[in-house]
Amino acid sequence: MSFPQNTGHATPFPRLSILLHWVMAVLIIVMLFVGLVMAHDSTIHYAGLFTLHRTVGFLLLLLVVIRLVNRFANHTPALPMDMPGPMKLAAHFSHILLYGFMIALPLVGWAMLSAGGYPITLWGGCHIPPLMGFHPHLWGVLRCLHSLLAYGLILLILAHIGAALLHGIIRRDGVMGSMLGR
Amino acid sequence: MAHSPRKGSPARWAAVILPPLCLGGLLAWTADIFSPAAISPSHFMQRFHNAGAPGDGFRRAHAKGMCTTGWFDPSPEGRALSRSGIFRGEHLPVMGRFSLAPPLPYLPDNPAVARSLSMQIRSPSGDDWRLALVDAPLQSMRDIADAYAFFGAAKLDPATHRPDPVAVQAYAAQRPWLKTAFAQAKAHKQTSDLTNDTYNSLDSFILTDEAGKKTAVRWAAVAQEPFSPADGSGANDGNYLFKRLVQTLDQRPLRWDIVATVARKGDPVNDSSQPWDNADQKVTVGTVTFTKAYSEDESPCGPMVFDPTILPDGISASDDPLLALRSSVYMRSYATRSAEHKAPSMVTPGDVASPTLTQDEKGQ
Ligand code: HEM
Ligand code: HEM
Repeated sequence: MSFPQNTGHATPFPRLSILLHWVMAVLIIVMLFVGLVMAHDSTIHYAGLFTLHRTVGFLLLLLVVIRLVNRFANHTPALPMDMPGPMKLAAHFSHILLYGFMIALPLVGWAMLSAGGYPITLWGGCHIPPLMGFHPHLWGVLRCLHSLLAYGLILLILAHIGAALLHGIIRRDGVMGSMLGR
Repeated sequence: MAHSPRKGSPARWAAVILPPLCLGGLLAWTADIFSPAAISPSHFMQRFHNAGAPGDGFRRAHAKGMCTTGWFDPSPEGRALSRSGIFRGEHLPVMGRFSLAPPLPYLPDNPAVARSLSMQIRSPSGDDWRLALVDAPLQSMRDIADAYAFFGAAKLDPATHRPDPVAVQAYAAQRPWLKTAFAQAKAHKQTSDLTNDTYNSLDSFILTDEAGKKTAVRWAAVAQEPFSPADGSGANDGNYLFKRLVQTLDQRPLRWDIVATVARKGDPVNDSSQPWDNADQKVTVGTVTFTKAYSEDESPCGPMVFDPTILPDGISASDDPLLALRSSVYMRSYATRSAEHKAPSMVTPGDVASPTLTQDEKGQ
């Protein structure tokens, strides 16, 4: 099955924005799967997955900082003129939420392991300093928050993919193409 | 208007809805939502609960315990085996936790029960070495499937408040590979006290020296106090083991040698249920000295986790599947209990302040 090309003419995102978007998208999806396997399956090599999870988690924290700087330094194409107001509002709000969750998840991961008294070592032996001292109760709370944020991010990403496809396949207004570099 | 929303065909709508639906389904499947029988950390928690763990902020296993502090003096032999900063330091602070192995925080002390010792040793340069040792000679499980079945068989019968003997026997009978482990457990002579007991890592670890040479070892904390048998050593006090430990510490420091048994070719490094060669070299890498006791409720050793995979550079986990499992299961126990309101421990600050043995209602 093939669909006609987008007919809209929205300007595409800058190259760097597109690169950051897709690299982070892949890494975040990998992180979600790795996190869920660690937390819900005891039979898959835990130590290796956990090291991967910490390492890619910190890489994502670095990338989201670069991405935020880029977002304000570089231009962002406007949404199509004919998009209804509430839809535009939902788009902007969901993008703010996505950024918020992308920043909060690795920060909460870092904070919770610090509060729990776990040393944080990345793949290759790099040592990350703790964000705070030993606070066992806070560790319990933050561990729970990490799960809730992850589940929230999953829902946001699913809605985001659905919305992108809606633009690309139903509305065909060029919004999807703007992140594909067309 | 240029692009008013076009009515999509059903195929178009399917192309919009199916991709996120599939990804969501895949994520849910990864979280085991569709296979409730999978072996997961929360199912281990369920099994500890069935085996008597009450929650209430206590550890899901090794629930009854008491804290001690002291120091670690490494030996030159340790320095030769591992490049870890731990063996380069001197007089490093140690936090210990003596415990009874069952998941029951209010279990009265008695000679039959297995005991354990956990330690955290730290160096000024930030090395953190956690050990969780038990006084059994071998592990009565060899892999994750065994561990899951083992804690399943520990389920308490609601009528007798004991594990069902048939289930326990079936666990052993179905696993001929555990024959030696059960035979050695049976032959093991329990000591009179926590003070003269020897505690083993069972799982193996890999030491790396300055030159990068790797050595597989099993750890033991060997008491310097002389052996004395458990038979007839009990007392009519539910905390007699812990109180006698406090009494001794009030009189003199207690020492344990940290002994590495070095694997030779053929010793199973990834299977803690199998014995190693009796002639293996034993190296004392240092000595732990304890001087003070605290109730769990007034020491950070109460809330903290003794995850055996928290290791300094120069010591690493072996490929024993139980080590990775323990890391994940301890984390779940640690997260769950840390979010709970903790009930008072059975060994209270009062017991530590005045450890006189009394004939109390806890005694049996
Ligand atoms: C964008 C970054 C991250 C994402 C998307 C992510 C995602 C997840 C997910 C989905 C889970 C499973 C939650 C559950 O079902 O209970 C999880 C668990 C976990 N995450 Fe993350 N995480 C991120 C960053 C981090 C970082 C930076 C750390 C630590 C430095 C971390 C440490 C953990 C830990 C310790 C667990 C618990 C594993 C267990 O229960 O055995 N995460 N994460
Ligand atoms: C694979 C099977 C095992 C499982 C599932 C298991 C499970 C647990 C759990 C849930 C805890 C409570 C952790 C916490 O909340 O801090 C615990 C504690 C402990 N385990 Fe295990 N364990 C296993 C094997 C072992 C082995 C092989 C040893 C020792 C050789 C051991 C020694 C200990 C000790 C000493 C503690 C007390 C730790 C403390 O004081 O914080 N366990 N175990």
